[in-house]
Amino acid sequence: MRTRIHVRHLLFVLLAALIAAATPVLAAETGFAVNLDTSQAQPRHVEETTMTSVQRDYGHAWQTMAAAMEENNTGLLGSDFVGLAKEQLLQVISEQGKSGLKRRYIDHGHQVRVVFYSPDGSAMELHDTVRLEIQLLDGNKIVYSDQGTFHFLALMTPAENSWKVRLLESVSGF
Amino acid sequence: MRRFFLLLALACATSQWLAGASLRVPDHVPAGQELSIPTGGSGEATLYLFGPSHVAKRRVKLGSPVVLAGDELVNAGRYVVVLNGESSTFFVTAGPVSTLAFIARPSRVPAATRDVVSGTVFLFDRNQNLVLSPQPVSFSLSVTGAPDVQRTETSKGGIAWTRLDSSRRAGAAQFIASAGAASVRRVVQEVASEPCNIRMHAERAKGGAIELQTDPIRDCAGNPVPDGTIVTFTSVDQSGRSTVDARIKRGIAQAELPESRQATISVAAGVVIGNEIRWGGGQ
Repeated sequence: MRTRIHVRHLLFVLLAALIAAATPVLAAETGFAVNLDTSQAQPRHVEETTMTSVQRDYGHAWQTMAAAMEENNTGLLGSDFVGLAKEQLLQVISEQGKSGLKRRYIDHGHQVRVVFYSPDGSAMELHDTVRLEIQLLDGNKIVYSDQGTFHFLALMTPAENSWKVRLLESVSGF
Repeated sequence: MRRFFLLLALACATSQWLAGASLRVPDHVPAGQELSIPTGGSGEATLYLFGPSHVAKRRVKLGSPVVLAGDELVNAGRYVVVLNGESSTFFVTAGPVSTLAFIARPSRVPAATRDVVSGTVFLFDRNQNLVLSPQPVSFSLSVTGAPDVQRTETSKGGIAWTRLDSSRRAGAAQFIASAGAASVRRVVQEVASEPCNIRMHAERAKGGAIELQTDPIRDCAGNPVPDGTIVTFTSVDQSGRSTVDARIKRGIAQAELPESRQATISVAAGVVIGNEIRWGGGQ
């Protein structure tokens, strides 16, 4: 009887430890965590509600882009991208699909700085330093893999109730 | 000893091969420019190109250069090229400034006001890539009959912005942003500011009513305050207070107040108060 209780306790402790250990890992692996720094934004100060929206919408845009690129499904892009950024993604996803290629982003978090917020509040430029693993696949075969720190420049503009990515460009540095 | 160095060199070469050797490509390529990549060996292999808006997969002949056409490299960003187990990355960068996206705010401003007009310019090349290298951008704001307000800013991250004072003279101001060969014009309507002072005079009308009329109403820079601006005339007498709102028409405002033996009449527009008349008290 005592042994059975001990086993049950042991199982419970093990399960709790597993959950505790898995939680941060899951959070890190699902990625798209955006740490937004607005201290250098100019010429306009970024209001707190704007900061929250940008942080949420930029992270979500990356999430949808990663899913769309891996599945070669433009429908997954949703409405997070507009203008040139959307056109480019639609084109590349369509070409990937035709060639049987895929792109996989394993995202380990973004350190984003707002470097410009227009005087009228209609545009924002972000400098994103992201820890990323990029896999390029032909069918299911990985033909190229790279892991490290990458730099992205993004232009975002506000819409009715969210911020949209208008331009997203990988750059060599800031 | 010689054998040791030979072995070391061989080990280095092997480790480099195992790690995946690099194709020889430049770090940066101007947008739209063809790129030739030398290859070694013989036979055929599959070439992969992954770019921001373009991917390609094709069989190429080894031993002769592989050419990436200019139209495969039109969009700025990071490109990965993979061939026969070797890979390299390079960045396509924007070309010279070709077009500007110019946001001018607001579209209507009071004349002679500091830092009231803002202009933001986004610089693009002919392939719609943001031109990230610093570029001089000149802004000018001009109204006929007033000196131009000019400023030159250097773009940063593809963006240049400025804040300018409005001219002292009211009118349709031409707000122009120029960079390289590109130039964009916007119109900012500069209107008179608040009235500088308001002066009215009163006359008895035929039926006994009090007829009021202002002098031409101008702002402190001498611009006529726009027609349609509300001017309020107020009369206070024994029976109480009567108020009439009149719009400026052809530069002046007019109103008729009810008959009164003795009254104090005042005039105001916005936060500006004009002269006061004591009617029936010798004024």
